[in-house]
Amino acid sequence: MTPAISDALPTIGLAMLQVAGMLAVAPLLKAGIRRMKARLQNRQGPPLLQGYYDLAKLLGKEPVRSETASWVYAAGPRVYFAAAVAATMLVPVLIAAAPLEAAGGILLLVGTLALGRFALATAALDTGSPFGGMGASRDMTIAALAEPALMLGLFTSALAAGSLNLGGLVRNVLQHGATVHPADLLAFAGLFIIVIAETGRIPVDNPATHLELTMIHEAMVLEYAGPDLALVEWASALKELLYLTLLVDFFLPMGIATSASPGAIFVALLAWAGKVFLLAIAVTIAESTNAKLRLFRVPELVSISLGFAFLALAIRFL
Amino acid sequence: MMPLGPAGGLPAALALRIGISAVTLLAVRRTNAARQLAFLGSAIASIVTGMTAAAVLQAGSPVHGVLLVHEASQFALTYTVDGLAAWFLAVLSLLAVPIAIFSVGYVGQPHFNRRSVFLGVAFNALLGAVEIVFVAGDVITFLFGWELMTLAMAALVATEHEEPASRRAAYLYLVMSHVGTGCLIAGFMTLSVASASLSFSTLLSGVAVGPVRDGLFALFVLGFGVKAGVIPLHVWLPDAHPAAPTSISALMSGVVIKTGIYGIVRVCAFGLGVPRLSWGVIVLALGGLSALLGVLYALMQHDLKRLLAYSSIENIGIILLGLGAGMMALAYGRSDVASIGIAASLYHVLNHAVFKGLLFLGAGDVVTATGTRQIERFGGLLRRMPWTGLFFLIAAMAISGLPPLNGFASEWLTFQALLYGFRSSTQPLVHFLFPVGGALLALTTALAAACFVKAFGISFLALPRSREAAEAHEAPLVMLAPQAFLAALCVGLGLFPGLVLRVLEGVMTSLPGLQPRADMVSGGLGMISGFRAFDHVAPVVLGTALLGGAAVAGVLAAIGARGFQRAAERAERAEQNISADQGEGVRGFQPGGEALARLKASRSRRPRRVPTWGCGGELSARTEYTATAFSKPLMMIFRAVYRPTRQVEALAEVSPYFPQEVRYHSEIEPTFERYVYGPLVRRVLRMADGMRVLQAGSLHAYLAYVMILVVTMVLLVWWRG
Repeated sequence: MTPAISDALPTIGLAMLQVAGMLAVAPLLKAGIRRMKARLQNRQGPPLLQGYYDLAKLLGKEPVRSETASWVYAAGPRVYFAAAVAATMLVPVLIAAAPLEAAGGILLLVGTLALGRFALATAALDTGSPFGGMGASRDMTIAALAEPALMLGLFTSALAAGSLNLGGLVRNVLQHGATVHPADLLAFAGLFIIVIAETGRIPVDNPATHLELTMIHEAMVLEYAGPDLALVEWASALKELLYLTLLVDFFLPMGIATSASPGAIFVALLAWAGKVFLLAIAVTIAESTNAKLRLFRVPELVSISLGFAFLALAIRFL
Repeated sequence: MMPLGPAGGLPAALALRIGISAVTLLAVRRTNAARQLAFLGSAIASIVTGMTAAAVLQAGSPVHGVLLVHEASQFALTYTVDGLAAWFLAVLSLLAVPIAIFSVGYVGQPHFNRRSVFLGVAFNALLGAVEIVFVAGDVITFLFGWELMTLAMAALVATEHEEPASRRAAYLYLVMSHVGTGCLIAGFMTLSVASASLSFSTLLSGVAVGPVRDGLFALFVLGFGVKAGVIPLHVWLPDAHPAAPTSISALMSGVVIKTGIYGIVRVCAFGLGVPRLSWGVIVLALGGLSALLGVLYALMQHDLKRLLAYSSIENIGIILLGLGAGMMALAYGRSDVASIGIAASLYHVLNHAVFKGLLFLGAGDVVTATGTRQIERFGGLLRRMPWTGLFFLIAAMAISGLPPLNGFASEWLTFQALLYGFRSSTQPLVHFLFPVGGALLALTTALAAACFVKAFGISFLALPRSREAAEAHEAPLVMLAPQAFLAALCVGLGLFPGLVLRVLEGVMTSLPGLQPRADMVSGGLGMISGFRAFDHVAPVVLGTALLGGAAVAGVLAAIGARGFQRAAERAERAEQNISADQGEGVRGFQPGGEALARLKASRSRRPRRVPTWGCGGELSARTEYTATAFSKPLMMIFRAVYRPTRQVEALAEVSPYFPQEVRYHSEIEPTFERYVYGPLVRRVLRMADGMRVLQAGSLHAYLAYVMILVVTMVLLVWWRG
């Protein structure tokens, strides 16, 4: 075995562990938010394990595809899933280094997620159903509007930390200690809006509806069934968990393990779970206290986020 | 590799082009042979050019020479292939060779019959002219090549001259190009007076000083900006691209408009001395404007070639964003930061040539197969043209800036230039332009992705939207092979950006005042922009991770499928047991024929195919989402830019509540054409009208003009002498 490969082995192992762990937790987050939302509405809500039941059910179904669709239709969910998995390897979760730090930083992460979106939106046009086109069109529109705000928000934090590399960024934030700069609060608020938009939550999109006037992501994947749909659902859940982890990394990475000792990692696991849980509560509250916006009101919401990002940048560097 | 030394390569290529054109014209009656000779010969000449460029890039030392000497005056047309010229020549040859081979098939179509010889000759003339522009060593050579290029292009745009639209496009192109050339001549004359030389080596060594420099900068930006299609000088571009035959459009977008970029880099960034900060700001602003408006207009186009043309404007904008950031960094003396910006723009020049060339060739296939350029009349082409579709998809993903393809690599580098510019800038306030540029670039990239999801998805997926699309056939191998080559380049240039940067390092060290950091090009596979590991990228690693992710997806789907099969088998067995218990037939232990078939079907790994749900109605091309509908949300959101108008007309016979037919017409306002060029043209015409007094047709008046002129000149000489 050449040294290059043996050097890469721990990295590959860490990457696989992280992907497996995140994939395992992701359905819990989605069901958890649904349950909390139900509780706020005085409903019982689905069990916490519902996400897993759904995935198991979908995976075990007969694969069914439209007869008008081509190979692009089958490739869509797979590329979407692969992009989410690859993106997971680029983000530090429990250790202050991304497993695949060698690949790149924030720009690559955003690009990878865009790759998944492109694949799914293209595939949605393949069945000939008007719903797919509608969903693809709306999804790409909102993504296009969210992109500058997302980038600017990320840049503000990254420039303050002096690195676009996610691992380096976390380490820099840890080194300088937690300073609550007003710019951080603004940038966080801006990015939180973008996370809501990108993960298809109210007030931008409603994950619980199948009404053609309101749905975006669900319209895009309406034709999918069985294992294909399971891949899409799982990747979406993973993406949501990833966005929340990203917020944690950017603004409150404290507690993340800086060494590979089991104790530190255990502490990091608890800290990460706690912070993601808090963010999930925030998402739940945002979903429960807002009404879904009309599609053409979404740009206003996104421009608020863009404004926050600009303000943060100005406060930080003026 | 070098039967021709680098010194002889370029004249050899030009001589080859002239010779081929001459022989082609002689063989005009044997259309087939002439066509093949012209295009294959042009491919060979482009390979020779490419080898010269490669030799210069490898050796790192420029090649000088003389193209032609006028015996009587001893005036020589000189050429110089330095790093920058070699880079653009390399881009040219990488694109010109596949296009030439594509053209052998494309121009062979019956409707080009009598024009194929003309196209072959003009193709060679155009490429030769562009080569002269890139290597010109003095003003005369440059302007000769520039003018030849303009004329060849105009002729090519007017190939289908019986169409009024083609004639108009060619005319518009000629007029705008000549206004630009006028600016260039004025600029070069000022410079040559200041330096008392026509040679670029002295002329472009920063001879101008003081406020003249700003005037010169403005002249050159105008002159080169027209050719590059920078907004607001772009109006010729979206008309010229669809009018020209496809292989010419590909060349136009990939190489010819890059001559404008070449000029801006050569003259504005490095030829007028150290650029001023305001110049960088102007280039950055023009870049941001072109990028955003270019992609916004591209989104609204439903003519595939027009869409691609507007997207070229967008990419010129992206190139200028990198260049502007580089110029600003040069202005405040950070040559290491500047080299990131310059490298980003040069990298994007190459990438845009590759993916836009590929997109145009794919569009050529589609237009040939269907006979229309309207996206709304395509649909379902992927099944009928699988290879064209695959290559088009790769190019669409590359142009959308998706990793690990090449568009991402250069856009990544552009982001780095903008962020570094922000970090290293000492200018208060001005340095906020960098993140604004970054936000614009992010918006542009995301909108481009939306645009190309539309362009690919509506054209190639789902059901055919017209009879022509349903009867389309795949293009022949001679047209597909060049596309395969370009698609491979899209992937290769994206996966190995370090190798591209290594070549670019040589280009940058050859430019005055530019010094890339050593660690920027240290990686072979990845890119590092330097500075304490600020950021780096290694697309190969991401590619591997993506493959891993796809493998996981495959495994999950397979596990699911196996689970389903087991369940199906269990159900089958249970059914058999039931039927056995009921004692149906004597062969109770053997599965029945129908059940066996179903079991086999469920065991085969192919998913079941069912019709798409048509919302209760019948699914047809009429129920599909259209390109207009796809881009409608963005039209509504950016209505301040588009100022759309729409007309809905319901034709009813009995009652207005039961329309027989609804006609929907929507269009966006051509802002620049209407509010910038409209008044301009009117004013010019009015002035021309006023001038008619001078040119009244009276011979006496003309004689009087001559008289006045002679007297004035005599007086002037007498007064001076």
